[in-house]
Amino acid sequence: MPKILIPTPLRQFADKRDTVEVSGATVGEALAALTTAHPDMKKNLFNDEGKLRSFVNVYLNDEDIRFLEKDKTAVGAGDTISIVPSIAGGR
Amino acid sequence: MIKIEQEAWDLMVAHARKTYPNECCGAMLGPIDGGTKTVRVALPLENAYPGAQRERYELRPEDLLYAEREARKNGMDLIGIFHSHPDCDAYFSKTDLENSCPWYSFVVLSIQKGQFHHANSWLPNMEQTEAAQEELEHPNA
Repeated sequence: MPKILIPTPLRQFADKRDTVEVSGATVGEALAALTTAHPDMKKNLFNDEGKLRSFVNVYLNDEDIRFLEKDKTAVGAGDTISIVPSIAGGR
Repeated sequence: MIKIEQEAWDLMVAHARKTYPNECCGAMLGPIDGGTKTVRVALPLENAYPGAQRERYELRPEDLLYAEREARKNGMDLIGIFHSHPDCDAYFSKTDLENSCPWYSFVVLSIQKGQFHHANSWLPNMEQTEAAQEELEHPNA
């Protein structure tokens, strides 16, 4: 099963675990499995339209899924999915 | 509240002064115990904003992934992000807010004429419409 690394502030919504193993053949299915198992995670990752929030990037191993097949990117048993925020700013 | 230890603080201020008059950015790592976040390690990261860095900063997601991995490797948490405001106050600007992430603390260092002046920490909300000020303790406070 692929595993999803949970960022520190979101672990409170995942039974305090830092890693969650999920089923799913694609990144989209894996994230859906995560939010089904841990519903409070959903509002942190997805907006009301069900799209990933603007500040959320998803990586499969070391690759941003936007440059792969997005949520249709295939995942396998040894894969690691990371949730990485977009952060910028200025005065 | 967020407490920044001496070694991490020195690195943050040094990074902000070195990049002056441009904005700097980096990650803060350490333990979180209840409501207290303690910054033990500061990781200076590159400002990847392609335009005028005097007024903007941008973190590469890859660098944040690296910071998250460093935290895990050392049994710590990624607590937040720091950046500098050269020659202006340590407020949380509209640009900061709209490009923030509500999961983390955002420490802003005001650097005036190349020297540290003051700092504040901010906690943006989920909709990125407002940020609450967080109690901040640092060695220069």
